Amino acid sequence: MISAEIKQIKIGLVSCGIAAGGEAVYKELTAAAGDIPVVKVGCLGHCYAEPLVEAVLKDGSSIFYNNVPGTSEAVANILALGEQGRFTIPAKRKAKELVKVLSMAGKIDPVNFDDYVSFGGYEGLKKALTMPPEAVVEEIKLSGLRGRGGGGFSTGMKWSFLAAKDSDEKIIVCNADEGDPGAFMDRSLMESVPHQVLEGMLIAAHATGGTKIIIYCRAEYPMAIDNLNIAISQIKANGLNIINGREIDIYIKEGAGAFVCGEETALIASLEGQRGMPRFRPPFPTDSGYQGKPTMINNVETFGNVPLILREGGAEFAKVGTAGGRGTKIFALAGDLEYPGLVEVPMGTTISEIVFDIGGADPEKVKAVQTGGPSGGCIPKDMFDTPVDYDSLRSLGAIMGSGGMIVIGNDRCMVETARYFLDFTHRESCGKCTFCRVGTTRMFEILERIVAGKGCEADLDTLEELGNKIKAGSLCGLGQTAPNPVLATLRYYRDEYLEHVNQKSCRAAQCNALSDIVLDQAKCIKCKLCIRSCPVEAISADFVIDPDKCTRCNSCVDICPKKAIRRMAKGENK
Amino acid sequence: MSIEFFLDGKAVKAEAGQTIMDAARDNGIVIPGLCGDPRISKTTSCFVCVVKDKKTGKFLPSCSARPAPGQEIEVTTPEVLDMRRTALELLLSEHNGDCEAPCTIACPAHAQVEEYVRAIANGEFEKGLAIIKERIPMPMSVGRVCPRFCEKQCRRNIDGKPVAINEFKRLAADKCFDSYMETLPELCGKQVAVIGGGPAGLSAAYYLRLQGFAVAVYDAEEKFGGMTRYGIPEYRLPKAILDREVAHFAKMGITFVPGKKLGADIALDELQKEFDAVVIAIGCWKASGLRCEGEELATPGIGFLHNIAVNGNVAPNPGRTLVIGGGNTAMDCVRSSVRLGSADVTCIYRRTEAEMPAEKIEIAEAGEEGVKFQFLTAPVKLEKRGDKLVLTCLKMELGEPDASGRRKPVAVPGSEFEIEADTVIGAIGQNTDAPAGLPVDRYGNLDVKAGSTRIEGKLYAAGDCAYGAATVVEAIASGRLAAMEIAEDLLNIPMPHENSVFISRGTWQEMSREDVVVLRDDLSDAARVELKFIPIEERRTTFNEVCATATAEELAAEGKRCIECSCSDKSDCKLRKFSDEAGCRPNAYPGARQVASYDVRHPEIIQDRGKCIKCTVCVKVCKEVVNQTLLSLQKRGFQSMIGTAFNSGLPLSCKDCGKCIESCPTGALDWRKKR
Repeated sequence: MISAEIKQIKIGLVSCGIAAGGEAVYKELTAAAGDIPVVKVGCLGHCYAEPLVEAVLKDGSSIFYNNVPGTSEAVANILALGEQGRFTIPAKRKAKELVKVLSMAGKIDPVNFDDYVSFGGYEGLKKALTMPPEAVVEEIKLSGLRGRGGGGFSTGMKWSFLAAKDSDEKIIVCNADEGDPGAFMDRSLMESVPHQVLEGMLIAAHATGGTKIIIYCRAEYPMAIDNLNIAISQIKANGLNIINGREIDIYIKEGAGAFVCGEETALIASLEGQRGMPRFRPPFPTDSGYQGKPTMINNVETFGNVPLILREGGAEFAKVGTAGGRGTKIFALAGDLEYPGLVEVPMGTTISEIVFDIGGADPEKVKAVQTGGPSGGCIPKDMFDTPVDYDSLRSLGAIMGSGGMIVIGNDRCMVETARYFLDFTHRESCGKCTFCRVGTTRMFEILERIVAGKGCEADLDTLEELGNKIKAGSLCGLGQTAPNPVLATLRYYRDEYLEHVNQKSCRAAQCNALSDIVLDQAKCIKCKLCIRSCPVEAISADFVIDPDKCTRCNSCVDICPKKAIRRMAKGENK
Repeated sequence: MSIEFFLDGKAVKAEAGQTIMDAARDNGIVIPGLCGDPRISKTTSCFVCVVKDKKTGKFLPSCSARPAPGQEIEVTTPEVLDMRRTALELLLSEHNGDCEAPCTIACPAHAQVEEYVRAIANGEFEKGLAIIKERIPMPMSVGRVCPRFCEKQCRRNIDGKPVAINEFKRLAADKCFDSYMETLPELCGKQVAVIGGGPAGLSAAYYLRLQGFAVAVYDAEEKFGGMTRYGIPEYRLPKAILDREVAHFAKMGITFVPGKKLGADIALDELQKEFDAVVIAIGCWKASGLRCEGEELATPGIGFLHNIAVNGNVAPNPGRTLVIGGGNTAMDCVRSSVRLGSADVTCIYRRTEAEMPAEKIEIAEAGEEGVKFQFLTAPVKLEKRGDKLVLTCLKMELGEPDASGRRKPVAVPGSEFEIEADTVIGAIGQNTDAPAGLPVDRYGNLDVKAGSTRIEGKLYAAGDCAYGAATVVEAIASGRLAAMEIAEDLLNIPMPHENSVFISRGTWQEMSREDVVVLRDDLSDAARVELKFIPIEERRTTFNEVCATATAEELAAEGKRCIECSCSDKSDCKLRKFSDEAGCRPNAYPGARQVASYDVRHPEIIQDRGKCIKCTVCVKVCKEVVNQTLLSLQKRGFQSMIGTAFNSGLPLSCKDCGKCIESCPTGALDWRKKR
């Protein structure tokens, strides 16, 4: 029975929804919905609730269903507006979030031009075109917007540099090479509301005299590229790329998957068809960038903010946030928490509000949070009342970065965490600067030794010494930040490092060489599942685990129905 | 338009467009850098040239950063130098090459082995001799008696056939030692006394003379050569050879004062008054006792050999002879006893043949000459019964390894047995007979500063008396070091950096055949040259030299067996030079090295990935200067490498250009043919 109240069904079907199985739900929905239109929309940010279906009612209200399985029963329940599986945004989250940049994400069909316009799209551009370019730049300056890619440089200032250039050609580049593991703000915005990013760039073209727009997007984001390409053709069809009588060339350049290409000079080299490697600045790109032309590079989310600023005015925009950052910021929440996903909050929201109230993490089980991905640092729980903005995080040894926030639970080892991040960055070094190429490798090797129980206390000094030198002696952001996860964990969790090197013990029982797997005979029901699951026959017939045979693979821990088997720091079991 | 800024607080001018490095150079400050070339755009990759902006606290690559008016740049502060050193040490930590060949590293005198082997194999004997004499002034002696540290580390040991290096030394020296004369500098006016005319003293005298010192060598004996003359028997090192070597030193103007014993005929105080420096090189002449009851009845090995030498290789037949000890002196004693007519000579050693400190070749040759060996046997008592000596021994077995790493012999209880003999010779060690009043270490040797020959004030000690009984080549190295240190102390001549050995790909024991870099096309797989021995009967009955010098033809072939392991760029490698100047520790940051794969597909050019520092100068030279794109940086992170398109190697036409080779700061790109 299909409820007569339903006007429209929306289903989140960008990458996250598809990954959660949304395609099957969509198929069932289209088969069962009859005349009711089923619309593919973008991402609402609630990753934990995907596939997420919204039933829009004729009275304008909506009923949401979360984690919808791709079955006819589930779809029938939705179409009947059944009670089962209804979703409401957790109240605490609702109280803290402020959805502005993402206001259209998950509400509109990403590739429907009219949908975007009907929600207020291109009003910002329209307004900008009525203003002299300098006034637009002033408006951006007034908003206090700072680069959302991690650098935090004043966007208005950057625009004014390009605007001041006297050149026949000026290039505007959108940095969509979102490379931090665990960060997906930009992808979601491009997939869900591609026009918003493009509108921001067109406004920039007007304000700065830009003649060409290039989006440098990683090839791993095929849907973002598809949606942007559709949006670009719609822009051209509607003549929106004619700015002040001049036709602006807009195209996408797909990145080949190097983390370093998020760095602006490396990005430019890659755009030019060269190996993506940074170069010494000055000259800055606004003086000499793509093919030697003045070039301005802004991040996806930065451009995404621009239409809002034009629509509501810079002064209004600046009312949100703190002195260390105006407006809102989108964070990608991941790790040990209840509600992973995207969230947009005012700048200055505290870490504790983001992690506990919005992310639903258990304060008893959280040790720290890593901001800024592999380039950032960890912030221990006792500093969670810090309001999040560019300056406050830097003072703690972390960085805002592009907005990745990874919650680290008590059962995670901080040394292993640092090793994990350095594993990524040392591989991604472009190989140019000695300190970055060799230095990060040496740091990584030392961390490998420490987690393998072969470290010594002097290693910690070497890590600190090398870390600081790598930061000081590298050309680009990759090397300048790569040691951060190590330096921050050394700063706040030196005791864990010392336990690893001196007691050869890992309190989180995460490092294999420094942990044992033990079986509690009192809890054991002798079901033998562990014995059968063990790949190396380390568990005897009387349920004793031989630590020399055991490879710490966790098969038995995972399979034990009584949780009688667990990991323990080496030596704790004596 | 020039601007003014500050280098280490000093106001300097920079022309428009100049980098900090350029401006510093114009003001007399040379900042090292590995990744620059004036013909190409900046690479800004090595970070060896870092300087610090005092105001911002930021480090800047001076090759690329342009000074701002009034900017205060720190160039030589400890912090900047430390940063620079770290950049170099990180590069060294991944560098995979051979700054010197393993033979040169192994040689106590650090002789340039590869170079003299090549010269001599090519028939350039005098050139070869000149290279040898830079480090070894007694090449005829060393060419005969050296235990060949070099050959033990030769990478041809991988196939069990090390190059016969020492034969090259012997041939070149035999051919042109007498005709060769060094260019001697004017005397500087300072005078040095050398006490002891053994190899350490003679070597010190030689290098002192080459630095312009007037030298007088004193010796207690009537003839010079020390242990080489009185300790090493004629059949290994003929006295006539030594005479020629000593004569050459005399020809160089070195004064020889024979028959003067320190403490009896000459006094240290007097010498110190008379001379600007005194080198003590008195050797180890005190034989250790047998450490058992009746030890005074044994003949000290060193005394036994000395007696033969002073009497013109004539001495009474020792009859049935027991020699106790397993070192080279013991071998000299057994083999000399055979030559004196004894039909029954036994070497008694408390461990087994595997643990004997004597050279394997000596043990083998002694065996050939009829010497018997009694292993796992230790003396406990020596007594005289009638006109015979009776040695009571205990059987031993090997226990746990001791401090020397050799298994410690343990007595088997109740295993006593007796051996009757006419002569018992103790050859279990020698010690320094230190002059009274001089400080000694816990072994009784003269107490010198670590790694040095300096004692105190004007006094230096070289050779055995400074570190205990060792080899001729070690004594020669020590004598040379004394000369260098005296030159540093008295003439302010800085110690040469030539001893610095930075990077090695590893020892042959750690390597496989595939790891060995072969640049030459004509590497020979022939067998090692066989030495020609005199007939065995002649060996047993005379003191004639046992084997002949190899021929020029034999060594021309033998030379082709040399892999030529050292880096083709060792003489002008900038990484080595700057690291040396910065006092780098090559093992400061131990870790994985670069993959040592190399490319010799081009007949004349080697691309050696292991040595590449990824400065990308070659890539840019090829692109921006030659207008080709034959090289590129490939892969990422630590795996980054310079490669060719589709890994197809460099085209043959590259030999006409070679510009990348000229610009490479290391030996990563080089001509294959060594000169």
